Amino acid sequence: MGTTKLIKFYVNGELQELYVDPAKKLLDVLRENLGLTGAKPACGTGHCGACKVIVNGTAVNSCQIPIEKVEGKKVLTIEGLSLGGDLHPIQRAFIVSGAVQCGYCTPGMIMAAKALLDRNPEPTEEEVRRAISGNLCRCTGYKKPVRAILLAASWMRDGKYE
Amino acid sequence: MSDNFQIKNESVRDLLVVGKSFPMLDAYAKVKGEAKYVGDMDLPGMLHGKILRSSYPHARILDIDVSKAKALPGVKAVITYKDVPAVKYNSAERFFGQLAALPATETILAEKARYVGDRIAAVAATSEEIAEKALELISLKYEELPAVFDPEEALEEGAPAIHEGGNLAKHVEMVVGDVEEGFKKSDFVFEGKYRTQIVQHCPLETHACLASYQGGRLTVWVPTHTPFPFRFILARALLLPINKIRIISPLIGGGFGGKNEVVDEVVCAALAIKTGKPVKMVMSREEEFYCSRTRHSSVSYLKTGVKKDGTLVAREMKTILNTGAYASGGPLVLSVLGAHTFSLYRIPHIRFDGYCVYTNLPVAGAMRGYGNPQGTFPGEVQLDEIAEELGMDPVEIRIKNAVRAGDLNPLTGLPLGNVGFIECLKRGAEKIGWYRKRDEYRNKAGRFRRGIGVACGSHNTGTFPSVVPEFSSAIVSVNEDGTVNLLTGVADLGTGSSTTLAQIVAETIGVNLEDVTVVAADTDVTPIDRGVFASRGAYIGGLAAREAAVEARELLLEEASKILGADKRKLAAGQGIIFSTQDPEKKIAIADVVRSALSRKDGPRQIIGKATVHASANPYSYAAQFAELLVDSETGEIKVLKMVAAHDVGRAINPSIVEGQIEGALAMGLGYALKEELIFDDKGRPKNADFGSYELVRADEMPEIEVILIELGEPSGPYGAKGVGEIGLVPTAPAIVNAIYNATGERFREIPVTKGKMLERLRGRKKDSQIL
Repeated sequence: MGTTKLIKFYVNGELQELYVDPAKKLLDVLRENLGLTGAKPACGTGHCGACKVIVNGTAVNSCQIPIEKVEGKKVLTIEGLSLGGDLHPIQRAFIVSGAVQCGYCTPGMIMAAKALLDRNPEPTEEEVRRAISGNLCRCTGYKKPVRAILLAASWMRDGKYE
Repeated sequence: MSDNFQIKNESVRDLLVVGKSFPMLDAYAKVKGEAKYVGDMDLPGMLHGKILRSSYPHARILDIDVSKAKALPGVKAVITYKDVPAVKYNSAERFFGQLAALPATETILAEKARYVGDRIAAVAATSEEIAEKALELISLKYEELPAVFDPEEALEEGAPAIHEGGNLAKHVEMVVGDVEEGFKKSDFVFEGKYRTQIVQHCPLETHACLASYQGGRLTVWVPTHTPFPFRFILARALLLPINKIRIISPLIGGGFGGKNEVVDEVVCAALAIKTGKPVKMVMSREEEFYCSRTRHSSVSYLKTGVKKDGTLVAREMKTILNTGAYASGGPLVLSVLGAHTFSLYRIPHIRFDGYCVYTNLPVAGAMRGYGNPQGTFPGEVQLDEIAEELGMDPVEIRIKNAVRAGDLNPLTGLPLGNVGFIECLKRGAEKIGWYRKRDEYRNKAGRFRRGIGVACGSHNTGTFPSVVPEFSSAIVSVNEDGTVNLLTGVADLGTGSSTTLAQIVAETIGVNLEDVTVVAADTDVTPIDRGVFASRGAYIGGLAAREAAVEARELLLEEASKILGADKRKLAAGQGIIFSTQDPEKKIAIADVVRSALSRKDGPRQIIGKATVHASANPYSYAAQFAELLVDSETGEIKVLKMVAAHDVGRAINPSIVEGQIEGALAMGLGYALKEELIFDDKGRPKNADFGSYELVRADEMPEIEVILIELGEPSGPYGAKGVGEIGLVPTAPAIVNAIYNATGERFREIPVTKGKMLERLRGRKKDSQIL
């Protein structure tokens, strides 16, 4: 265990100031220090995407990022997606499309989808598949998640959520 | 039996809840990230457990010195085989006392290591880091023993003995008719050797466990789909009475069979008992790959006799399964593999000769299909070879031999149920444009070769008529506001079984789906169930839920008839209202009926139904799957373009959930066919136990997939349903391999057909043709 260091960063809009081992991974800080267990550990090697969160607009595997690299940055986790109480359209679309089975990959996949739709509001199916190709899912065969993301994109373009 | 055993609508009204694609009840919590899996849970004072595993495939432990590990600050316990009961158990026992069928070969911690990964010692410490450091401080003296990894070699004389009594865990022979006679009557006899590989379930959530021992009671939170078997296996291994153990399966992050056998949970519990503190253990991905369970690899020698016109006459299959270091469920996997040789086609003479063999590799156990994919692969590839040789269409030869509704299972004499196999073949062929494409893709040349293939499969629903009873139980209570609680032992693997059961209960009682709450898989609270395996959850669990709901509904109608002054037989319920079918003005809310029943002057009456249902049938589900693909003859790359999966499901209680089962299985089956294989070096060490080198199918690799649900209704099932959880990947690999043949003329009798193997084959052929 290394020495701790003061790290300041934002999580879901809130400033966090923590004394932590600077090498500690963002995923472990979120889960252990902040009690945000939505992002999941699943491979530890950055191959599965279950731990994906958005840092300054980009979806990243939080199990691979030392917390010191997040200094001053804005982190969005699945818990921050529906802060006002209403579900985000992607969350809603995942529910109505039957895109959730065991749910373990779901938060990471939704965050990957959010990062995609933020930069490309009108993705093709091909682009959706590429955007979530870093998110492994063993339950769904991806058909319903892809459909859900396309549905969410159309809702967001039309400005209506169902 | 009650009306459970007939497909009977409530007759006075249409179905309101069953047959509709409602979102899963727990989807909201899951998309919000607030659903809590075991790995997300903490308890005050909780310790972290870690396991020291053997790095040798076969070794006797001469000495273990744990003194340095114990002395490390933060370490609360270090245990070896000397500190735990020496009881032998079987991690896959599914009914208390099933050990006659399943050898008890495992112990909590090993005295002799039988594979790389075998559990030698365990540590509980205040942090994961300290626990890991403590493992490094344990010093071990081993005597290395000769090891064997190939099951056929393990059966040879003089092979290293992994267990006392030799390496044959189980021999199974199943016979119908007389195969020798059948081969004599055949015009042609085909023979081939087929192989399937070791793969892993790869649920996104690895095995996790949180155990707490307080006041003489052990509570274990574990994502298992067999909570009741977990309870008695832990009781057996830890020498505790069953009532001192509570198993809670809160949420399961994917299982696919891998979470219905006790693995490290027994160590976690032993550490909790030893320390008196809660202990959490979570497997790393690497551990998940080779320290939990894998799918059996297989070698099959298949011989089939046919008439000139394609009529199947005789089939004989010898299969050797590599079950790894401990028996686990291997003997039953072998039986299920063998049994499915009998349920797909009308073949008068069949013999199955199976061997389940110990080797010094990781423990193989239950995985989706439970032997059936390993046995269906040879059968369906060879049938393609037969069709080719006879000049018949692969769909036509299947239709010609397919079992039909009313046929009996030749092994058990029981009906196969309302079989919709031929419908699967016809509807699937039509959807993918089979006949046109088979013609079009013939005689291909050039770099890119297109091909199309078909394969079929069947799968049991439940285990009836197994030696052990096949039952489930349920309790349904109706609350004061008309809402309903269902208590069931059926754990929701993430498949949506709780939603399915809730739909059955809502439909039966006559309330809306959102009015039903399901409490599942807590052995202190829910009634007994054998577990979710054998595609039994929605069927047996559904029958029990339905019968309990019928009982509650009858109580409601009885009370309502008194209040309304109406004939009970003329009452029906829907959307929370009980009404007279003759006089719509006569109606009352279920909530009012419950309150009235609870305030009866002659004594309060709770509206509660409970049922324990034993299966009286085992209807088989059927599927025909079609794959269309493109092979790049220069690189060997195989790109699956489209898959059509036509499935005879009886009836879909929730079509979206049923589709989801099949869609996910197709991805798993595609990986089985083309990509996945857990590989070991010559010391039995895994070479690719991570997601970087063991590649699962990703979103951008999945072809267009289309699922066709054929709903003919299964009379024995709840609202006509039968099993769907496993069959989805049973025919997938042979369908793809048959399509590869159609595309390239290359016949593969083993999987996975990787890009490298495809290229090797195509280059080899080129070389051959140059020599010629």
